[in-house]
Amino acid sequence: MKIECTIDGKRILLTVNSNKPLNSILMEDVEQSNFNAKCSDGNCGNCVVLLNDTAVLSCLIPAFRLRNAHVLTFEGYRRTRFWHDIERAYEDAKSHPCPLCHASKTLIFESLLRTIGKTEEKESTDSNLDDEAVVKELGLNRCMCLEANEIIEIFNSAANYRRRRRVRRN
Amino acid sequence: MYEGIRSPAIHVPKSMTDLLSATSRFPNAIYWAGGTYIMSRHDYYPTKDSNDIISLNEIPDLKRINRTDRYLEIGSMVTISQLLQIGKQVLPDPLTQTLQALGTRIIRNQATIGGSLCTGDLRLAISGTLAVLRTEIEIKKLDAPRSDSRWITTGKLYDRSGALTLDKHEMITRVRIGFDREDFSIFLSAGNPMYNPQESVNLALVCSYNQSVITNFRFCFTMPTGGFHQFQDIEVLARGTMLPFSPNHIARLAKMLGEAIDNSHVTVSLLQKERAKRFFEVALHQLNTQSLIER
Ligand SMILES: Cc1cc2nc3c(=O)[nH]c(=O)nc-3n(C[C@H](O)[C@H](O)[C@H](O)COP(=O)(O)OP(=O)(O)OC[C@H]3O[C@@H](n4cnc5c(N)ncnc54)[C@H](O)[C@@H]3O)c2cc1C
Repeated sequence: MKIECTIDGKRILLTVNSNKPLNSILMEDVEQSNFNAKCSDGNCGNCVVLLNDTAVLSCLIPAFRLRNAHVLTFEGYRRTRFWHDIERAYEDAKSHPCPLCHASKTLIFESLLRTIGKTEEKESTDSNLDDEAVVKELGLNRCMCLEANEIIEIFNSAANYRRRRRVRRN
Repeated sequence: MYEGIRSPAIHVPKSMTDLLSATSRFPNAIYWAGGTYIMSRHDYYPTKDSNDIISLNEIPDLKRINRTDRYLEIGSMVTISQLLQIGKQVLPDPLTQTLQALGTRIIRNQATIGGSLCTGDLRLAISGTLAVLRTEIEIKKLDAPRSDSRWITTGKLYDRSGALTLDKHEMITRVRIGFDREDFSIFLSAGNPMYNPQESVNLALVCSYNQSVITNFRFCFTMPTGGFHQFQDIEVLARGTMLPFSPNHIARLAKMLGEAIDNSHVTVSLLQKERAKRFFEVALHQLNTQSLIER
């Protein structure tokens, strides 16, 4: 199957099996990709990417869903200004995820930060982001390198940076 | 690396009529909703004999949400997140709790209501909760040149071992949730069905009472690999009981529940059985508390 999509800002034409998972595509079919997450059943949560701006487990996205899609891996994400909010939050909390899960945890934090503005706009039963919810969301990545209190501290600090960024922009 | 691996054909019908014709032309193709269950199977990829795929993602009829004054009707391709966005005022409490407990947002954004009810060998909490809420499910049989539909209650979708009772070419198209509310409802859950299926247990229980006498009492246990349990004899016994239950009565019902699980001949781990009994006791104690507060 031939599929055209954008990966980390680059337009790419892929020739892959229609049902091949995105994590395998990123590791095997995309040149110069540093992506490395060979889980393939959603159980480790180490393969998060942003697909059309929404966080997904790439092992649960088949090739046929990629037509004209925009994929942002951690490599591409760290070239955006948003990364600095989380990077600074890691520094503030003096704790970082381990190298194995760093990319995925960061992108989960990012996906939560993106819902903050929406939460304030709309009252939905899935938008309540209290401390417990933040820890649960991070639990999709099963690596235990961060304690719950560290996760909360990082998230709150990153959320402050993100709010300030929004205020400056407006 | 993957020699001999076939690339399945992907069919993307744009309407129910297209879906009917795709199903008749490709009878062995599988329906693809969010894909979270299909892709999380250990043997998903690479495999030599992947079936063709019919993606349900572009059929507007399956993504519709309708609200009347009596019920909420949701297309099978509505995602769990979209359902939660409808809000607490509309969704019954145990359903809201069940949906919130389903994985994390990343999973809920992708998983659909239809897919969650049809996960082959895993019975998820949502099935039990929809069953006690007497939710109705529209089943369409896609046998060209016609498609027939019928409505069934969620409980009829599974046998006691938890196996799906859908025939080949039958699919879920809509789910109808009534607005009638019971006086008491509870949802209890332990363990994740994907990470530890032999430990996970979910209970949904609803009850109504009139002047402390139970008029309605329904409950359902789901255990991912251990079936779908509704015990009508215990429900019948509870009806007509005056609240609060005495501690002895609760212990007797929990014992009956344990025996009923044993007699169901479904493989349930000791931990699951113990959890089921404890959940049942907790639910009955909470029911007692609520009924006493209201006196
Ligand atoms: C990491 C992870 C964590 C999870 N955690 C939880 C959890 O905590 N709690 C929980 O309950 N579940 C959990 N799940 C399971 C999840 O709920 C299911 O995978 C999901 O609900 C399936 O929905 P889907 O739309 O992705 O279905 P799909 O994977 O697309 O389909 C599932 C099955 O249903 C069939 N199907 C799909 N739609 C229809 C239809 N309309 N009619 C007939 N058949 C159909 C498909 O052919 C397939 O056999 C988790 C899953 C993952 C990957």
